[in-house]
Amino acid sequence: MSEVLRVEGLSAGYGDLIAVHDVSFSIGQGDVFVLLGANGAGKTTILRCITGLMSPRQGRIIAGGAELIGKKAHEVAKLGVSHVPEGRRVFTHLSVEENLGVSFIDARAKGRTLRQAIDEIYALFPRLSERRKQHAGTMSGGEQQMLAIGRALMNAPDLLMLDEPSLGLSPLMAELVFERLAVIRAGGTSILLVEQNSSCLELADRGLMLANGHVVLAGDRAALEDSDMVRRAYLGTN
Amino acid sequence: MNLAQALLSGLLIGGVYGLFSIGFSLAFGVMRIVNFAHGGVVMLGMYVGLYAFDASGIDLLVSIPAALIAGGLLGATLYVTFYARFVGKATLQQLLLAIALGLIIQVLAQMAFGPNAQSIRSAWGSQYLIIGTMFASYAQIAAFGVAVVATLAVEALLHGTRWGHAVRAVADDAEAAGIVGLDAQRINLGAFSLSCALAALAGSVLVTYYPVSPPVGFGLMPIALIATVIGGLGSVKGAFFGGLICGVVEQVASTAWTPALQDVPLYALLLIFLAVRPFGLFGRPSAH
Repeated sequence: MSEVLRVEGLSAGYGDLIAVHDVSFSIGQGDVFVLLGANGAGKTTILRCITGLMSPRQGRIIAGGAELIGKKAHEVAKLGVSHVPEGRRVFTHLSVEENLGVSFIDARAKGRTLRQAIDEIYALFPRLSERRKQHAGTMSGGEQQMLAIGRALMNAPDLLMLDEPSLGLSPLMAELVFERLAVIRAGGTSILLVEQNSSCLELADRGLMLANGHVVLAGDRAALEDSDMVRRAYLGTN
Repeated sequence: MNLAQALLSGLLIGGVYGLFSIGFSLAFGVMRIVNFAHGGVVMLGMYVGLYAFDASGIDLLVSIPAALIAGGLLGATLYVTFYARFVGKATLQQLLLAIALGLIIQVLAQMAFGPNAQSIRSAWGSQYLIIGTMFASYAQIAAFGVAVVATLAVEALLHGTRWGHAVRAVADDAEAAGIVGLDAQRINLGAFSLSCALAALAGSVLVTYYPVSPPVGFGLMPIALIATVIGGLGSVKGAFFGGLICGVVEQVASTAWTPALQDVPLYALLLIFLAVRPFGLFGRPSAH
């Protein structure tokens, strides 16, 4: 099975604080991989290191045969790794269509025109099509999350990384987002998901759990679901 | 001078104020750079206009492209050499650097061009269009026309092209722009070059009826600041309307009151806006 991402011995921190310690994992083609853990466990730090928003202290991050460490965020995006950041971070003063348009990378067009790429996103999220002229800042949280995901899909990524996409959404909207993620995975895109919401486990192939920056558990979905640690933290059962 | 004449003159010079304020506002809106050397670039644009006229005898057809190119190159140089490291920060260090650069530009201009005021003796500047009791020189009218066209072109660029959308995306959230594949540093370089090109363009049309000397640049900075605040920080059309308002207020105050105190109502206007509507005419209350 071919890999879309390999993280080896990753350590990172802020000042004296070590946020992530010696984390290793890999994600196969078409897999959904989840990073579990409480707030402050280091999940977001790992995504920020992969995307080039932060420099790790140690380790290697390989995607598409290239070392990502040392690359800038826009170079990582061109290698087919997309990041839907915590808090969505849509361009609030741009319209929905402009948000999508600026996120199209010509080098990753893969034969699509800009128009075709945008229409693919509208097919996935019809709500965005209804709001195409609206400023992103005036939309609901769920719509902004759809746009953030749509924006990340504009460069036809090999790996889509999402940082708590259900945070702040209604249960119905969160359900819709996870249902769309299943469609995206079915299209062959690998997914790296950081989530607090237990629904994400239904989607997962494999994953790991972090506590204070250390990997405390790693395995396939069954192993995660059977773990007492995960059950206590996520499923609300003992 | 009657009031109607003051309104007309104010509107005409206000267009040029608006044009260089757009550039100032763009650098702040996209990069959070407060470029106090912006007036220095306007002043250099005035010398470009002056020498282009001396060399060719044709006013705007030569001076406009020359000023755009010179301003753009100067902007790119200033950005790469000095400003790139301050993007997004709007720190005191950045402010001091910009003031120092403004002073250096002024001193270099004094060494190169001398301290005396110089003006163009163009046919346009001495031909007047008379409308009832009001009059305006062709140079004033042409400068205003260039300012309006340039403002519309910048608006079209920012809202109608992918590059413009990318500039606005970087202004909105530079980090998010990076993760969707936009090279923020390269886009900033283009935006800052455009900012300075607009300053030089404003200078090259202003000099057709307004004498140039090295201190003129710093003298224009209060206008750029006030126009930007009135219009709304980072708003292009806001900065243009802010410039128009500054021009009219200045001319009316000069006519109805005394030229020596023509700037006083401008500062009063600034204080009123900061107190009552700090986000300006076209700004958004939520914007940064």
